Amino acid sequence: MSCTEPLRLSAAPKAGVRGPHERRFNPYDHNGGTVLAVAGTNFAIVAGDTRMSSGFNILSRNQSKLLQLTATTVLATGGFRGDVSTLQKLLKAKLVEYEHKHGEPMKVHAIAQMLANTLYGRRFFPYYTWNILSGMDENGVGCVYSYDPVGNYERVRVNVTGSGEPLIQPLLDNQFERQHQQLASKPPPLSVGQDLAEATAIVKDAFYSAGERDIYTGDTMEVCVITKDGVKLESFELNVD
Amino acid sequence: MLPSSAPLHEALGLGGFNFDNTRRNQVLGAQGVAAPRVKKTGTTIVGVVYKDGVVLGADTRATEGETVCDKNCEKIHYIADNIWCCGAGTSADTEATTQLVSSQIELHRLATGKAPRTITALTMLKRKLFQYQGNISAALVLGGFDCNGPSLYTVYPHGSTDSLPYVTMGSGSLAAMAVFEAEYKDAMSVEEAKALVQAAIMSGINNDLGSGGSVDMLVINKDGNTVLRNVVRPNERKFRKAGGYSFPKGTAKVLTQTFTPLSSLPIDVTTTRSPAAMEVG
Amino acid sequence: MSSFAGRELLNPANVMEASYDAGTTLQQDNGLNFLGKEVDTGTTIMAVQYDGGVIVGADSRVSTGVYISNRASDKITAVDDRIYCCRSGSAADTQAVSDYVRYFLDQHRMEYGQPPKVATAANLFQMLCYQNKNMLTAGIIVAGWDKEKGGQVFALPIGGALMEREYATGGSGSTYIYGFCDAFFKPGMTKQQCEDFVTKGLCHAMARDGSSGGIIRMAIIDESGVERKFIAGDKLPYGPL
Repeated sequence: MSCTEPLRLSAAPKAGVRGPHERRFNPYDHNGGTVLAVAGTNFAIVAGDTRMSSGFNILSRNQSKLLQLTATTVLATGGFRGDVSTLQKLLKAKLVEYEHKHGEPMKVHAIAQMLANTLYGRRFFPYYTWNILSGMDENGVGCVYSYDPVGNYERVRVNVTGSGEPLIQPLLDNQFERQHQQLASKPPPLSVGQDLAEATAIVKDAFYSAGERDIYTGDTMEVCVITKDGVKLESFELNVD
Repeated sequence: MLPSSAPLHEALGLGGFNFDNTRRNQVLGAQGVAAPRVKKTGTTIVGVVYKDGVVLGADTRATEGETVCDKNCEKIHYIADNIWCCGAGTSADTEATTQLVSSQIELHRLATGKAPRTITALTMLKRKLFQYQGNISAALVLGGFDCNGPSLYTVYPHGSTDSLPYVTMGSGSLAAMAVFEAEYKDAMSVEEAKALVQAAIMSGINNDLGSGGSVDMLVINKDGNTVLRNVVRPNERKFRKAGGYSFPKGTAKVLTQTFTPLSSLPIDVTTTRSPAAMEVG
Repeated sequence: MSSFAGRELLNPANVMEASYDAGTTLQQDNGLNFLGKEVDTGTTIMAVQYDGGVIVGADSRVSTGVYISNRASDKITAVDDRIYCCRSGSAADTQAVSDYVRYFLDQHRMEYGQPPKVATAANLFQMLCYQNKNMLTAGIIVAGWDKEKGGQVFALPIGGALMEREYATGGSGSTYIYGFCDAFFKPGMTKQQCEDFVTKGLCHAMARDGSSGGIIRMAIIDESGVERKFIAGDKLPYGPL
């Protein structure tokens, strides 16, 4: 070192050591995992994996992200588990209250609006959750509503959210929305064209593929098939690594 | 023509790191341009000394952030026939550092005419890593068998080293060390040591999200080395949609077409020669 | 030649690290942080001279953050046949410095024609630690025996001061035993008294300091050579002297 260089009293710059920074309590965590839903012409599929993680640790291998709200509606939620549980508890209470008041269970479009209101009520301290609501509409067509954490929502044919989203979304766009297939027929206005067996196979394939490449998706996948008769739940083993 | 004053490797821009764009990247970083993500082996690597030698082990997952970019990579690197090195950290760093030391060791072997020693490789590695003050992200497990018997070391990115009978490294090191602390015995047989290493790596694969895939192992003893690639493959894909995905011809729209006949391309052999090309006569 | 100041400005790793943190949801506290954190010998080290020799002692814990990366390490490093050093601070820095000193002493011995003096070794350590003080985190105790002055102890704290002492302590655990040393050190102790003083001091420091622990390693150096001793972690003489 030449003498004309300025002398420094600070310690040597070593990798991973940074200057002074503020420490603050962070009320959120991201617990990973993927949820997905598909609206069919006379059915709906909701699926989610059961891995719950934090950083590089697995906190649970069998924590379901799906919650059946009524006989034909299922809510799938990813994000921060603390907020997911709180939101689920709140929604269940509201549904009971509604049934007592009106003498019938809430319909799916009403639940959709209520969920949006609940999320928007926390606009400035949001529930750190990514929701997909699915059920059967009044015409017997499967329906899927997708949300952002602060309550923006819309009815869609198919939706995926969570850590596997970037891997699965292109597959859904291509197979269900028929994007980039100029010879294929366009899907119906509110649902996908595939039958239940084909749609289920694509959904399973999507999860097994995401499980191969996304470190936060794995262990088990749960698939709920909703029809006018109710909800049927099946589980399949994913990789555990 | 090469400038005669500069050494050949400098004139050709060879040798050492190039820091040309460092200041530019710093400015871009300050403007919010994200630096490229490097491939990291969020890893479980282990080693154990047994009665007659050492057993090294590694998982096979390489990640870029939260995405698995290689499901079956090789993390046990060759240094010499009797010295091998497991690498965790930035893949490029572990690969480059072990290759460099491997070359130096081979030259050293040719110069001295003696079988290389593990401690020599260790010293070369720690000097290199200390020189770069932790900026070379290589966390290593070095194992070997030489005239002094088996030896096993860990090397940290800052250049410190430890010598122990059983070691682990990488993001899965805690999961693997838990198995070692519970099950390790002095003077194990090779079969016991292999079973222990396999259990330690499996613990990393199953419990650490940065580790996954299969188990690789390597045994070094006085008779040489045995590479045990993918001894266990517990994470093969369990489901694939029947029939796959097929698309009729014409699915993708052709937007433009151009045709360039090969004969129309100008080819001049004399100008494509590199200035460093070998000359005869 | 690039200076230290220039290096800090141009450190490419800092550019990478800063933007890596900003653009990822990974928890930096449990995962790949083993790459960034330096291996630190949060330590207790001690050395005492007696008539005819010197005793050095150290705990065996090496930590990387909250993880004990080596629970049986040897922080007592030989730089010549009868000259040893106890290392505290950065493991990488102190290993590099003692490697250099060993190399210089080997050369010096060949030119000098006889074993080097302890003071020579201590001066080499001091030169390296003082001239590179802004690159190093190294607190070292140099102790040994030579035929001119017998057993000697030199303290070399972080920063590069050099002080000859009757006894010296160092490392994070030493703060817990200043009172013990003030109360129980007496000039002119016998070899056995010195050994008890060292083991007792280290043991009490290890009991209170979270970054010290494991086993006690010692070296007893005199004209006849070096005797290495260790006390297992469940045999530590904790309690009144």
